[in-house]
Amino acid sequence: MRQDPRAFIPVRRFIAFGVAIFLVFSTLTVRLYDLEILRGDYYHVLSEQNRIVRLPVPAERGGIVDRTGYVLARNIPGFAISVIPVDLPRAREEELSQRLGSLLTLPSDSVGDTIRAQRIRNPYEPVRISKTPVPREIALAVTERAELFPGVRVDPESIRFYVDGTLYAPVLGYTGPITEPEFEKLKQSGYLGNDDIGRTGIEDVYEQYLRGTYGWREIERDAALREIKTLALQRPTVGDTVVLTIDDRLQKLLDSELRKGVDEDKFTQAVGVAMNPQNGEILAMVSIPGYDNNMFARGITTAELAALNGDDRHPLVNKAIGDRYPAGSTFKMITGLSALSEGTATRDTVVNVSASSFSVSGTTFYDWRQHGSLDFVHGFAHSSDIYFYTLAGGTPFAPNVHGVGPEAIAKYARMLGFGAPTGIDLPNEDGGIMPDPQWKLATFDEPWTIGNTYQEAIGQGFVAVTPLQLLNAYAAVANGGTLWQPHVLKQVTDAAGNSAPLPEWKSRKLAMTQENLRLIRESARRVVTIGHAYMPNLKIPIAGKTGTAEFGASTGKDSAGRNKLGFHNWFVSFVPQADNTDPTAQIAMVIFTYDSSKSLCELCLNPAVGMTQRILERYLGANK
Amino acid sequence: MSLPRPATPLHDRPAPGRWTQIDPLLLIVTLLLIGYGLVMTYSTTAETRTFTGDPMQFVVRGAIWAAVGLAAMAAVALFDYAWLGAFAPLLYLFTLGLLSVVLAIGTSSLGAQRSVNFGGLSFQFSEVAKVLMIVVLAKFFADRRASIGSPLTMLLGLVLLAPAVFLVYRQPDLGTSLVFIAIFFGIAFLAGARIWQLVALVAMAAASFPIVWALLKDYQRARLSAFLDPYADPQGAGWNIIQSLIAVGSGGATGKGLTAGTQSPLGYLPIAESDFVFSGLAEDLGFAGAVILFTLYIVLLVAALRVAFRAKDPFGMLIGAGIATMLLCQIMVNVGMAISLMPVTGIPLPFISHGGSSLVSICFALGVLQSISMRREPEGP
Repeated sequence: MRQDPRAFIPVRRFIAFGVAIFLVFSTLTVRLYDLEILRGDYYHVLSEQNRIVRLPVPAERGGIVDRTGYVLARNIPGFAISVIPVDLPRAREEELSQRLGSLLTLPSDSVGDTIRAQRIRNPYEPVRISKTPVPREIALAVTERAELFPGVRVDPESIRFYVDGTLYAPVLGYTGPITEPEFEKLKQSGYLGNDDIGRTGIEDVYEQYLRGTYGWREIERDAALREIKTLALQRPTVGDTVVLTIDDRLQKLLDSELRKGVDEDKFTQAVGVAMNPQNGEILAMVSIPGYDNNMFARGITTAELAALNGDDRHPLVNKAIGDRYPAGSTFKMITGLSALSEGTATRDTVVNVSASSFSVSGTTFYDWRQHGSLDFVHGFAHSSDIYFYTLAGGTPFAPNVHGVGPEAIAKYARMLGFGAPTGIDLPNEDGGIMPDPQWKLATFDEPWTIGNTYQEAIGQGFVAVTPLQLLNAYAAVANGGTLWQPHVLKQVTDAAGNSAPLPEWKSRKLAMTQENLRLIRESARRVVTIGHAYMPNLKIPIAGKTGTAEFGASTGKDSAGRNKLGFHNWFVSFVPQADNTDPTAQIAMVIFTYDSSKSLCELCLNPAVGMTQRILERYLGANK
Repeated sequence: MSLPRPATPLHDRPAPGRWTQIDPLLLIVTLLLIGYGLVMTYSTTAETRTFTGDPMQFVVRGAIWAAVGLAAMAAVALFDYAWLGAFAPLLYLFTLGLLSVVLAIGTSSLGAQRSVNFGGLSFQFSEVAKVLMIVVLAKFFADRRASIGSPLTMLLGLVLLAPAVFLVYRQPDLGTSLVFIAIFFGIAFLAGARIWQLVALVAMAAASFPIVWALLKDYQRARLSAFLDPYADPQGAGWNIIQSLIAVGSGGATGKGLTAGTQSPLGYLPIAESDFVFSGLAEDLGFAGAVILFTLYIVLLVAALRVAFRAKDPFGMLIGAGIATMLLCQIMVNVGMAISLMPVTGIPLPFISHGGSSLVSICFALGVLQSISMRREPEGP
C-alpha cells in the first residue's frame, strides 16, 4: 500500500480554521443585525440629527397703530456685526479687536475675548460682536473696507422704532432682550436665547400678537458645522398689527398742553387720560415726565438708565395707572352719590354754610369760603367742603341731615371701581386705597374717627386713587351707570387683513338710580357754567369736577431742579352730546397736575380746567 | 524555463504549472470583490469628487490599480512558488529592508509614517511586507516539520518575526504589526505546532499587556479606552467610533443607496474610503450589502483554504494558511472596528478599501495561491 504523499495535511486543524472563519463571520453578522435591523431606526434618527439642523427664522414684529391707522411703532433696518473666527487670521485678531472696539465703542479687550472664546467653541460659527443694532453708516464702513475687517460679517437685523418716542412710551412700553429665567419658561413656545420680548406696556401685554410666528430653515451641515444647503424652509409669519383705541390727534393735543404747563413751571408732573365712556376705549393717555422708549429698543446705556432711575419724578412709571394720589374734591361725586343712593340726601337737601370752619372734638375743619345756603347742585358746583362733610358725617350746619357714614361711601366707591385695579390692558396698574373703618383698624390698629369720615368725604386722608380710576368712575356716571373695563386694544389685524378675536371687555351696571346719576351730571355741568370751574366763552357743553389736594412737602426742589409747588390739581370732565343731562357723552377726560403752583382760591384757577377747555374745544371742534 | 536551479537543496521540487488547475472559484470571487471595491470607492467618494473636479478620479485610479494587481496575479501564478522558498532568506532581508526604508524616508500622514512616495505614487510597503513575511514563515515552518514540537523552533520563528513586527510597530502601525503576529500563529497552527505552546504564547502576550500599554503612544491608548467607552470623549477619541456606529446603524436593512449615505460625504466619518470604508458600505447598502460582502469573503477564505488543503507540499499549504489568516485577520479587525467590536486601528479592508498597495499586495498573494493550485498533484483519473 502506497503511503499517502499528502499525509502532512492536518485535516482537523483545517476544520478548526474553518470553524474560526464561521465564528468570526457569525459574530460580525449578529452584531450588524443588531445595529442595522434591530436598532436601525434609532441610528437613522441620529444620522439625521447629525447632519440636519433646524434653524429658526425670526418673524418681523407686528406694528402698533392708533385708531386711525397712524403708525406708533414699527421696525427699521439696522445691522449686526459678527466675526467668524476661522476666517480671521490669528495674527490679525488683536488689530481687528481694537478696530471693531473703537468703531462700536466697545472695550477692545471684550471684543478680543469674545472672538477667542468662539474660536474654541466653534470657529465656523459667527459670534455677534455688536451689542445693539448698528446704524447703516457703520455697517457701510465695515463692508466697504473689507480688507481691514477680516472675518467680519454684517447681517441686517430689525430695530424697533417708536415714532413718537416719549409721547407713547407709557402706553407702548418697549421691547428688550429676553432674560434667562424668561427664556427657560418660554423656550418651549419657540423663543430663542437672543430674542427680544415685550418688556412693558402694549409690547408686553400683546406680545402674543406682535411676535408673529417664527419660521424655520432646515439645513444640511457637515461635521465642521458648515452649512451645505437648505433642505426645507418654513417662512415666518409677520406679527399681527395691534390697533389701539388711542386717537393720536387727541394724544398730541393733550401732550402739548400738559408739556407747555410743565415748561412754564405751572406744575412739575402731569397726567392726562381720555376715554369713550360708552365703551371704555382709552382715547389718549399721557404721563409727564416720560422717557424715550427708543433708548430701550436700541439698548439703553447704564448712564441713561441711571439717570431715569435717579429722577425722583419717576419717569418710568405710567402715572395714569401706576401711582396713587389723593382724589381731592373730585371725590365729592362719590360722597354725593352714596348719600343720594342711601336716601340720606336728595337734590333738595340744604346745608346752610354759615361759617367757613367748624370744630369737632378739638379739630377744626374748613371750607374754602362761607357759602351760605346750598342745595345739592350748588354744593357740588361750588365744591363746598362743609356741604359734603354734612352728607358724609353730619355737621352742626344741618342738624336734621344724617351722615351716610364711611361704610356706605366705601361701598359705593368700590362699586365705582376705587380700591381695585380697573383691569386696563396695561401692566403695573395700581389699585389705589379705598379706606373704611375696618381697613383702618386692620392697617393702623386704630379706630375710625369722624375726622376720617370728613376727610374721606372730600377725597383726602386715606383715599388714594389712580387718575384712570377717577376717570372711569366719572365715565360710568356719564354713560348712565355702566362701569367699563378700560382698554387700549381696539383690534388685532394679521398680514392678510383678518381680525383676531378680541378679549371680552368686562362691564358692570352700577346699583344706582338714573335719577341720582342725572343729578350728578347736572351738578357737574353747573360746576362749569356757574361754579368752581367756570369756563368763559365755552363752545361745547363740558361737565366736570375740580379737585385739589395740598400736600406736606411743598417746599424745596425736586431732583430735576424744579420748585415744589405744593398742590395737586384735578379736573375730571365729560362732554354730553348737547347741553342736557342725557348719558350720551362720547368723551371723558381727566387731567391731573402734580406739584401745581396755584393755590386753592377762587381767583387762582386750577390749571387743569383751562387746559381741559382748550383741549376739548379743539378736539371736538374739529371732530364735529 | 531557463532559471538556474538554486544551489541550496530544495525541499520542494519545482513542477510545471497546469492552467487547467487554477482555482476558478478563487478567481471569480477575486474579480467580484475587486468589482465590489470599485463600486464602494465610487459610492464613498461621490461627494468628494465634486470638489476635486474630476468626477471619476478615485474610481479610475482604483481600476488602474486593479489592472496592475490582476497582471501581477497572473505573472505570479505563472511563476513556480517553489522559487519563493529557494529565495526565502533573501526575501526576508528584502522585507526588513523595505520596512526600514519606510521608517527612514516615509511620509507622514495622520501622525504615522506608513508610506513611501515614489514617482508620484505612494506605496505602503508594510502591505507587501505582510505577503513576503507569509512566504518566509511558511518556508521556515515547512523546513522544520520534524522539530515542530520543540520550543526552540517556536523561539526561532519568533526571532524571525520580531524585527518585522518591531519595524512596523515603529511606523507606528499597531494594527499591521498585530496582523504579522496573527499570520505567525496561523502558519504555526497549520504547521502542527503544539497547542499548549501557542496557548502559552498568547498567555505570555496577555501577561505582558501592562508593559505593552506603557509602550503605547497616547493616541493608541486613547483609542483603546474609547473602544471601551466611546461616549467618555464623544468629540475626541470616541468621535470616530460613534460616527461609525451611526453610519452603520442608519443603513438599516437595505441601506440608503449608493452615494446616498450622509455620514462620509459630510465628513462625519473620517477616512471613509479606506479605514472606515465598511461603515460607508453598511450605510449605503445596509445589512444586505454587508451580508453579500461577508458571503464573498467566506467563499474567498474557503477557496484559499481549499488551495492550501490541496497543495502538493507543506510549503504551499502553509503559504495558503498564512494568506487565509492574513485576510481573515484584516476583515475581522477592520469590520470589527467599524461596528465597535474592535479598537480603532488603521487596517485596510481587503479589496474594499481604496488603496493600490493593499490591492496589489493581495493580488500578489492570490497569485501565489493560484500558483500553488496550478502545481498541485493532478487529481486521480
